[in-house]
Amino acid sequence: MRLITAVIKPFKLDDVKSALQAFGVHGLTVTEASGYGRQRGHTEVYRGAEYQIDLVPKVKVEVLCDDEDAEDLIGVMVKAAQTSRIGDGKVWSVPVETVVRVRTGERGPDAI
Amino acid sequence: MAAFAADRLNRSLHNDRWLASLLGAESGVALVAVGGYGRRELLPRSDLDVLLLHDGRNGIAAIADRIWYPVWDSGAELDHAVRTVPQARRVAKSDLKVALGLLYARHVAGDPDLTESLREGALADWRGDAQRRLSELREARELRGAEAGELAFLLEPDLKEARGGLRDVHAIQAVAAAWVSPAPGPKVRAAYDQIMDARHALHEVTGRRLDRLVLEEHDEVAEALGLLDGDALLRMLAGAARTIAYATDSAFRRVSPGGRPPGDPPSGGTPSPQTPLGLPSGRRRGWSRRGPNPAGNTRLPVADGVVAQDGEVVLARAADPAADPVLVLRAAAAAAQAGLPLAPRALTRLAQCPPLPVPWPAPARDALFALLGAGQSAVSVWEALDQEGLITALIPDWERVRNRPQRNPLHRFTVDRHLVETAANAAGKAREVARPDLLLLAALLHDIGKGWPGDHSVCGEVVARDVCARIGLAPDDAELIAAAVRHHLLLPTVATRRDLDDPATVRQVAATVGSRALLEVLHVLAIADGLATGPAAWNSWKATLVSNLVLRTEAMLAGEPPPPPGPLRQDQLDLAAGGGPAVTIRRLADTAEITVVAPDRPGLLWRAAGVLASHRLAVRSANASSVGSTAVTVFEVLPEFGDLPDASLVSGDLRRMLAGRLDVADRLDRRAQAAPPRFALAPPPKVTLVDDASELATVVEVRAHDGPGLLWRIGRALGECGLDVRTARVETLGAEAVDVFYVTDADGKPLTGTELRRDVVDAVLNSLRTQEPPSVR
Repeated sequence: MRLITAVIKPFKLDDVKSALQAFGVHGLTVTEASGYGRQRGHTEVYRGAEYQIDLVPKVKVEVLCDDEDAEDLIGVMVKAAQTSRIGDGKVWSVPVETVVRVRTGERGPDAI
Repeated sequence: MAAFAADRLNRSLHNDRWLASLLGAESGVALVAVGGYGRRELLPRSDLDVLLLHDGRNGIAAIADRIWYPVWDSGAELDHAVRTVPQARRVAKSDLKVALGLLYARHVAGDPDLTESLREGALADWRGDAQRRLSELREARELRGAEAGELAFLLEPDLKEARGGLRDVHAIQAVAAAWVSPAPGPKVRAAYDQIMDARHALHEVTGRRLDRLVLEEHDEVAEALGLLDGDALLRMLAGAARTIAYATDSAFRRVSPGGRPPGDPPSGGTPSPQTPLGLPSGRRRGWSRRGPNPAGNTRLPVADGVVAQDGEVVLARAADPAADPVLVLRAAAAAAQAGLPLAPRALTRLAQCPPLPVPWPAPARDALFALLGAGQSAVSVWEALDQEGLITALIPDWERVRNRPQRNPLHRFTVDRHLVETAANAAGKAREVARPDLLLLAALLHDIGKGWPGDHSVCGEVVARDVCARIGLAPDDAELIAAAVRHHLLLPTVATRRDLDDPATVRQVAATVGSRALLEVLHVLAIADGLATGPAAWNSWKATLVSNLVLRTEAMLAGEPPPPPGPLRQDQLDLAAGGGPAVTIRRLADTAEITVVAPDRPGLLWRAAGVLASHRLAVRSANASSVGSTAVTVFEVLPEFGDLPDASLVSGDLRRMLAGRLDVADRLDRRAQAAPPRFALAPPPKVTLVDDASELATVVEVRAHDGPGLLWRIGRALGECGLDVRTARVETLGAEAVDVFYVTDADGKPLTGTELRRDVVDAVLNSLRTQEPPSVR
């Protein structure tokens, strides 16, 4: 199993959600986040803000999936979140050892 | 090094070409390098500070995209802005950093006229508003200095932000850009290149954009720079940083001579009227405050050939440096006594003074003592003389300690500055000794031996004799100074590590010191030295112990019998009469005194120390005495964190321990597990048995890495060897602890048998080995 995390522009959340739904993912976790990357939070090419690092509002989306679905899911999320402008965000995945569904106690892939 | 400078230049040229190719042929735009990139100082990990300047044309966003995206994609750090000339000037007016960056604006590509109009406009703005901008700049510098400290004296300096660092040179350039002071001279530029090269090497060695030279990188950075080792690197940096700090101070003095007058607001104030040449009138405003003469010609003689003028000390017109070798010291003494700086032009003239004859004439000696006797204001005057190379001309041996770093967390200054600071501190207590002149000279020379290998007190004695001969001191006085240098650590060491109640302690100190005159000098020197070392090196606890030792030694030197060993107070005797077990806690100024009374039995002292350690109390000293068959142990403790714990909790635990109902070892083990793991490699502990320190007991001196419950561990080991601990004293020096135990064997005698002595050392070492947490790799 893997956990896929995407940090994306907030207005792209709906696109990502529908794309995941279409792919057959039925559960995800969304968190409001803020941060910066290589552009240090300069949100547009135009303004420029010397020597300052801004924290930019983002949305963090987390999805648990089977190993074999991971690559496809990442592709779907990247495609849905892309604007090709700076600050589009990042998507990454990490291996997950254990998942338990709290209500039933199911474990592993069954719990996803 | 030339290779580094060439590398920076090449990197700038390469980026210039690349950015120009990204811009292509466009009209009404220009790419401008600002800040460090504007200065062509790109280090391996530097930011690219780039301004896309335009004339308000359409489609500028697309051009910006075309340039910024490839730069981002290359992984370079970019500080970018897209602005018209008026916009850029407006931002600069409200943002000091932007304004400073624009002072280095450099055309890279596009329309050169656009860049030129920005450069001219930004400079005109800077000059036009110099009064306000320069006071902003000074405030920013003061803030930087307060946060980052002084480069010359730091073991892990921030090469950019610290006082004397790269930003100071940028500040001089900014002051110069406003036509207030000259541009940095060749010495400052050379110093700047040295620090810049060190920062360059730091980027290369670490592969990161770092400005702070941390200890781990010293040797590697030194190697990259072709220097011998980390010490050589620190010496080079200290020399460069002092040159820069001194030049920056001088530049800012011109912004407002004589410093900020009292009552003058630190910033803002009224805008200065412009002189016809556009020169800001900051200097004149400062002058006019000092007297009715608007040209600022009030000259006040302060010594022969030396006058005070405009808040500085300058040479009189009639002074003739070339024929007056004493003038250097006379002018310095006058400046320090008046609390004024020596003017740079006066220093330049003083450099023409011929060397003093050896031995020095009496007026030169007197002037040296007057300089040192001025206290804190002598420090900056000394620094100014040092920058002109005048100190080493006076005292050639000074070169060995100049800029020498002290790899010791207790010290906050380099050796030479520490010596001057010690003399300045001693000046404040000069009235407490019969010969203030000797005190000041002893303070100035006490650590001079650190410039030579070996024990610095021993080498220092030899060097001090040479210096005394050079300056022509009478033989008796020279002897006293040599002895003061030789024994300058005697009082603090004995006071903190020996039992002052033991007659042998005082007898030995009296025999070593020999005279009251030397004792006074040593006493004040110990205080001045401790204060100049740093906040961790001197405190009221040490001060009390040292003055206690001095009082006892004075009595001994005067032929009086030593006072009887520390008698118990009446309340402690009353407590003892009850037979115990009983515990009282008395809060003192910053420590607490804990008295434990119980039926006498071996191991009481260290067991109680363990209980105190489990309450996060650091034991400073412990003294055991007996009243009949009752033991009275008095501890002086200091809380490790914050306030003292609740007295009833501590005394409750002590009572449980006395009744045998408390597992102290378990308590401490649990605490040790909760303590943060240490990864730093500490040198192995050292155990020494000292025989002649006391007639009644053997002194066990243990030097180890400090840790909770150290006293308990060692005490238990001693107890397991069948020894009785009568007295314990703990001194912490940063992370290092010196624990001293007065122990007797089962018969109450000092230890004799070689086998027992070896066993004791082994047992103590073993107890310390188990102290190492298992996580240490």
